[in-house]
Amino acid sequence: MMLAQRAIPRDTTLGEWFTDPQSWTGSAGILASLGDTVVLCLAVILTSSLLAVPTAAYLAHHRLAQVTSAWLVNIGRALPTFAVAALLVPVSLRGGYGFEPWPIFIALVLLTVPPMFLSTYVAVREVDPAAVDAARAMGFTERAVLRSVELPLASTVIFTGLRVAGVQVVATEPIRAFLGGDGLGRYIRDGIGQNNATLTIGGTILIAALAGITGLVFSATERLIKPYGVRRLRAHRKPRSGDADEEPDLGDTDEFASHHGAAVGRMR
Amino acid sequence: MSMLLAARNPILRWSYFLEQWDRIQGAIFQHLQLTLMSVLLGFIISAGLAAIGLRYRWSIGPITLFAAFVYTIPSVAFFGVLRTTPLGLSVYTVLIPLTGFTLLILVTNILDGFRAVPASVKEAADAMGMTPMRRLFTVEVPVAVPYMINGLRIATVTIVGLVAVAGIVGYGGLGNLIMEGIRRQFWSPLTIGASLSILLAILLDLLYFLLGRWLTPWARTARS
Repeated sequence: MMLAQRAIPRDTTLGEWFTDPQSWTGSAGILASLGDTVVLCLAVILTSSLLAVPTAAYLAHHRLAQVTSAWLVNIGRALPTFAVAALLVPVSLRGGYGFEPWPIFIALVLLTVPPMFLSTYVAVREVDPAAVDAARAMGFTERAVLRSVELPLASTVIFTGLRVAGVQVVATEPIRAFLGGDGLGRYIRDGIGQNNATLTIGGTILIAALAGITGLVFSATERLIKPYGVRRLRAHRKPRSGDADEEPDLGDTDEFASHHGAAVGRMR
Repeated sequence: MSMLLAARNPILRWSYFLEQWDRIQGAIFQHLQLTLMSVLLGFIISAGLAAIGLRYRWSIGPITLFAAFVYTIPSVAFFGVLRTTPLGLSVYTVLIPLTGFTLLILVTNILDGFRAVPASVKEAADAMGMTPMRRLFTVEVPVAVPYMINGLRIATVTIVGLVAVAGIVGYGGLGNLIMEGIRRQFWSPLTIGASLSILLAILLDLLYFLLGRWLTPWARTARS
């Protein structure tokens, strides 16, 4: 299984490694590994947000499944990603799907769906009921209330949830290199294998840079697609509890979690 | 080494469980040991950081920023980099990252706990003639306990998962079994290591839930 390692002499410095064109090209090069990582992360983020956001928005609008979702979110948050991915490797191999990419893909989706679901659910539920009732009084259908009132007003918190989850995916994806795959984590794996600090530190810098860029891309996307009305709203309204830039919890519906207060979510 | 061979290996041989029970037991023990050590160490450091933060308000920002920075270091990168430093394959190579990862969770929750004490309650305690120490332990700490338990709970569950990742440097309890399975393409240790670490996370999560209920009976009565 051990795929081609990129062996480099132990006395290569970081500067030499990053400036050597050979480090960047070829099937074990930085560009190819970066491509592998980006493709997988994009697939995971798209899948998770398509699964989590509409479901959570719908359930929150109708105030459905509050306790059930709290339980599911909590159990989902307790799942260790690395162990889940590892457990799926033999299953995938025996099914004829190979080492990659299904085990790590499924594990990363399971990692990101709970926080995305949670932030969307809370954001929609915390929308000012006066605004919702006003829309109803104006003759909006329930669907239109959700789409034109609740989702725009909740968008800031939803986007924050997506951004946090996205960065989390990029920071976790390197475990793939230890489960028969590649991606940017390969340099850390090869560095450990060759006891070479240049490779492990180089790989770390690349992953950290990608995680940073991911955060920026999310913020930029948010600016681009946030509705004009909501942007205008920000300036005139004082922040409410639901708008905080932190991960909210499901409050008193959350039987299984904290008693009160905001909790920092689980990463990786 | 071929994919076909790997595909034919059974996912779990029960006989392996019995034959290797000593090793599995050792792995569970190491897993628990690393988890408890790092959460305990993390809690002590976080309590200190939170105390500094509560005493000197301006330091909360930098402390949180530092903890958040440590928290965002990808776990494989942290383990891998320390593995290739002179620390090598010592317990510190896994203990330092594991402890570091608990800080953000614990510091935020402890701070939230103490900030949740209403000012009027503190004034009432002072008016009753409590010394600051007495007020801290009989009034403020009980209010903060649910937050601390919640922080410890999230931290512990997170660390159980990350100890498994520490298997990549060969010092990760059940993670060692997972990596052995991958390396040898022999799935019994992998399946056992992975399912036991998932089980451990869920069990500890449940244990904290019960502990939280037991330690804060007033929260239960207040709600029902």
